[in-house]
Amino acid sequence: MSTGVYICHCGLNIASVLDIEELVRFAEGLPNVAVARELQFSCSDVGQETIKEDIKEGKVDRVVVAACSPRLHEPTFRCVLQDAGLNPYLLEMANIREQCSWVHMEEPALATEKAKDLIRMAVAKAELLSPLEGELMPVSRNVLVIGGGVAGISAALELANAGLHVFLVERRPTIGGYMALLTDVFPTNDCSICVLAPKMTEVYNHPLITLYTYSEILNIDGSVGNFTVSGVRRARFVDAAKCKGCINDCAGACPVEVPNEYDFGIGKRKAIYMAIPQAVPLVACIDPQACIGCGLCEEACPADAVDYEQREMAFKFDVGAIIVATGWQPFDASRKEEYGFGRYRDVISSLQVERMLNAAGPTGGEIVRPSTGEIARSVSFLQCVGSRDATVGNLYCSRICCMASLKNAQLIKEKYPEMAISIHYIDMRAGGEGYEEFYQRAQRLGIEFIRGRVAEIEETDGEIYLHYEDTLLGEYRRRKCDMAVLSIGLEPDSGAEVVGNLLGLARRTDRFFEIAHPKMRPVEAHIDGVFIAGCASGPKEIQVSIAQGGAAASKALGLLMKGEISLDPTVAYVDRDACVGCKLCEGICPGKAISVNGTAFVDEAACKGCGTCAAACPTDAIHMRLFSDEQILAQVRAATAVKGEYPFIVAFLCNWCSYAGADLAGTSRIQYPTNARIIRVMCAGRVDPSFVMEALRLGADGVLIAGCRLGECHYVVGNDQALQRVKVLKGVLEKIGLSPGRVKIIWCAASEGEIFARELEAFVEELKELGPTGTEIPQARGG
Amino acid sequence: MSNRSDVLKLAGDELRCCIQCGSCSASCSTADLMDKSIRELVRLVLNDRCEEALDSRSIWLCTSCLLCTVRCPRGIRPKSLVAALRHIHEAEGRRNADSSLEDLFMGQVKDTGRVSEFYLSALYALHNPKATVQIMTMGLELIPKGKIDGEKSRILGIEELSRIFEGLEES
Amino acid sequence: MKLSYYPGCVAKSTGIEYDISTRSVCKALGVELEEIIDWNCCGATHCSNETLAVGLSARVMARAENPIMTSCSICYSNLRIAALRLEDKHLRDRVNSLLDSPYSSADVRHVLEVIMESMDEDSVAVPLNGMKIAPYYGCLLTRPPGGLDSPENPQILERFITLLGGESVVHPCRMLCCGGPIFMSQEEASSRSAFQILRAAKSAGAEAVVTACPLCHLMLDAMQRSIESRYKEEIGLPVLYVTQLAGIALGLGLEELALDKNSVSPLALVEGINASVNI
Repeated sequence: MSTGVYICHCGLNIASVLDIEELVRFAEGLPNVAVARELQFSCSDVGQETIKEDIKEGKVDRVVVAACSPRLHEPTFRCVLQDAGLNPYLLEMANIREQCSWVHMEEPALATEKAKDLIRMAVAKAELLSPLEGELMPVSRNVLVIGGGVAGISAALELANAGLHVFLVERRPTIGGYMALLTDVFPTNDCSICVLAPKMTEVYNHPLITLYTYSEILNIDGSVGNFTVSGVRRARFVDAAKCKGCINDCAGACPVEVPNEYDFGIGKRKAIYMAIPQAVPLVACIDPQACIGCGLCEEACPADAVDYEQREMAFKFDVGAIIVATGWQPFDASRKEEYGFGRYRDVISSLQVERMLNAAGPTGGEIVRPSTGEIARSVSFLQCVGSRDATVGNLYCSRICCMASLKNAQLIKEKYPEMAISIHYIDMRAGGEGYEEFYQRAQRLGIEFIRGRVAEIEETDGEIYLHYEDTLLGEYRRRKCDMAVLSIGLEPDSGAEVVGNLLGLARRTDRFFEIAHPKMRPVEAHIDGVFIAGCASGPKEIQVSIAQGGAAASKALGLLMKGEISLDPTVAYVDRDACVGCKLCEGICPGKAISVNGTAFVDEAACKGCGTCAAACPTDAIHMRLFSDEQILAQVRAATAVKGEYPFIVAFLCNWCSYAGADLAGTSRIQYPTNARIIRVMCAGRVDPSFVMEALRLGADGVLIAGCRLGECHYVVGNDQALQRVKVLKGVLEKIGLSPGRVKIIWCAASEGEIFARELEAFVEELKELGPTGTEIPQARGG
Repeated sequence: MSNRSDVLKLAGDELRCCIQCGSCSASCSTADLMDKSIRELVRLVLNDRCEEALDSRSIWLCTSCLLCTVRCPRGIRPKSLVAALRHIHEAEGRRNADSSLEDLFMGQVKDTGRVSEFYLSALYALHNPKATVQIMTMGLELIPKGKIDGEKSRILGIEELSRIFEGLEES
Repeated sequence: MKLSYYPGCVAKSTGIEYDISTRSVCKALGVELEEIIDWNCCGATHCSNETLAVGLSARVMARAENPIMTSCSICYSNLRIAALRLEDKHLRDRVNSLLDSPYSSADVRHVLEVIMESMDEDSVAVPLNGMKIAPYYGCLLTRPPGGLDSPENPQILERFITLLGGESVVHPCRMLCCGGPIFMSQEEASSRSAFQILRAAKSAGAEAVVTACPLCHLMLDAMQRSIESRYKEEIGLPVLYVTQLAGIALGLGLEELALDKNSVSPLALVEGINASVNI
């Protein structure tokens, strides 16, 4: 066996902190290391070629890359091995960037010592790696698209046009999303519904798209390639086959009026209604909350389509991939009480002004002051309402509001040249093709731009006044206007939570769904076979949502086109001789991949490789093909070989959340103590109590186990199981006279780099109080 | 001489995140009397021009009403900035009519544990003769109502209080 | 209900009627008050060392055995800020190392909150008979956020007035700071604020103003005559503490509410109410 160790400078990202030459010298001295080299950028062509040459020349048959996080470049280097003719699973990475150089910038010497340990651990694990082959599995070539806004529509059409069958599920009675409700759209000021309606019709008529509107998804089972989806289509109480969409007959007869949610409360609709004139499908809908059951619509309908007996209908289908396009919801402006939305009639939201400007909207396109019913003489736009605002917990920029207000201000100014229009902003953001020119156009039209966030709207004697500082003049102002438009921000759709939980999608701190990499994988979720498009992953303008819909579709296409996918071979398997058939594993497997018939059997297609079965098995009969007991124990031994620091911590981090959280601490340059040596496992549930005992036996002062936050485990309950094991383990420690405080379990989401750092810091302090491991034993015995 | 980092230490590091939106100054009930708006004070401090901020009359016009702090979209506490500047003003031994009230007030708390408005007013008038008229007017209003307490006594836990003062003097 | 009462420094002097009426109203409502033993000043708005301010409040809170009730908005705000800041273990440890008995946690309430929890329509013996009252919140009663009501659009005083049978008048200055904290050093600025508030209440048709803070009261009531002469405008608006107003509605006597201590006498107003009840 000959291992090659490649130590990456990552430009100066690593080399400016760590002593690379020292690390190379150190690696050369490790057992079985045949080659140790430094590379400027290991992921570059040059770097990759160097590794390939060593493999091809027969110098190395195991590869250790000491560079960035394996979550970033493990796939890259596996391809390098494969290209060079070596099994891709004979690779191990030492994360000396996110875990060393970026988090210990002030401690170069200690960081270099820690890097040595990490390299020693990787080399030890590499020795025990064995070649793995993924099996091929047939997949469904259907795709589920969740959400019928412009992103979902774009994705569905791309896929269907490429020949895949699409199930498009939409919660509302019509597809089209928010775009269908807007007036003209920037930067071209063309009519929104005019460009969208043809796409909506195309969806409806496409032979390869099955459309479920007014529907909810209730369950999603299975994994990449073979998901089973079930849900219900709610009752419209109107027979879709008979309804002609004439709407005036039935709605004209209906005596019940309620606020129209599609006009954001400024207009009214009937209990039987059509969301918008261009609804797809063009079928009326009865709102059961509003309907009084008078029967007038049934009498009025010429097509006999009203059906009060209609029931909801369940559906179920299989798909190979899922595109999440659940979109956004508007910020509730009444939360900013200082603006009086909902109390002062002349304070309206940006979506309400969109509906006012819409020729088919409640005011027929006129800008009407709600308190008087007359055309407004002055309108002020207030930017950043619910965005960039810590007081409401939304730190992010909603990205579209500057452009939307520029657009609405232009539309109003063109229609009413005499109207005084002002835009009150903190920073104008017009980054996009043609956007800055659009901004200039608004300036030339005579729209007034005032830099200063409006602090408060006052209403006195039916008039509203804005209070703000013109920050460019440094002058305080109280300005009267007929109407104030609050540019409300975008928040993640609260209804998407169900889908997010069913799929186990991660969320960022801004509560939008997290994509697999903030830059490099813009439409992929953390879960294989699941893609995210449009505003589900953050505020986006229409053009970007369309692009993302297309991108997600092409990702799904690439995955499913061949009709089969290669399975991840890093799964569990059973040593049947050792298995006693206790069924413990069957009960805890989150993927229901284990069945016990005399002895246990693992369905490798269903197994997701979390390893909690292996940790639980009382006879050690379940093994993991990667992250095996032997490999992890070898890492523990290598980690504790020197123990150059006190207190010395061995840490087990789950791949999905806490390891990613530690990576985030790195990318965010959050500094924390150098005391921990991190071992990556797929799930906190993988941590076998024997790993912990071995670490303590070898002199570690403490062992940290970190998992996803409770309720957010990527294997559903793996972290719960880890918690149970830690509780038992603490009892054991107490019995043998060690402090139970030497084992700590923490929860840390992928977005919580700061929490990881602070928890580790706290653990170091706790261990300092406990003293070096074993010091408590005489006291325990004495007492 | 105090610099930016001294102020940030007291007022909170989040001050660096100010986006100069003016929510604080537009919410301030005494903004129109100030020579520098609270927003400008932030800017001056971040530009390490603390001297100008310390010289500004604005820091003595703040009523501590907290509205700026309630509204700041960046989670900055402008009220804490004012407190920090007042504190540094005092620590550097600067004195003016405005700062003497704070000295006298906290001096009383330190000596007795509580504040007697009677002695506070009297002492302030001694230090700032210009304020005598208004204080007398107020006194004439309150004395006949029996609303002035001339008793001056210490709380029992004065030692504990001294400990608190000494222990937290260096904030 | 038993509460630890923190009267604050003005209770024996300028705010004496607030203290007296607070004790009377709580007694009438069955709220037992136990004055915190050997309490100290919270630093009011004059402690520029914010850490020291936390220490002063911590000593007060550490001495309370029950949930704490204060009637002063400034004390209320300072104690709440301190309780929030003391959630930081570092600071708590530092402060506790200086205290005789350590601070662990505190539940801080304002007397207005306590009244609203303990009073209902049935306890209103003498309804205010539609008296027009301007609610005046001032600044610190609702700040920082998370206290008895929203800091931007509170309604508790309006509900209070309505509960007592009064009519709450709408005026734009209900949350404008009274300027009290800078009265000594910046008299002109603070008088201007107080004048604005009084004028707004008056022109909205108020017969009285209700306030929940002794400093606001000082500015609006004790200073009213001086403001009238400075701005050459007659105001003559009685300013009542929430406890005085509640006490009137509870049918308590003039002495129990120390109504004679107010500068602008509310006695005529009170007689009017009582007369209407007797009819």
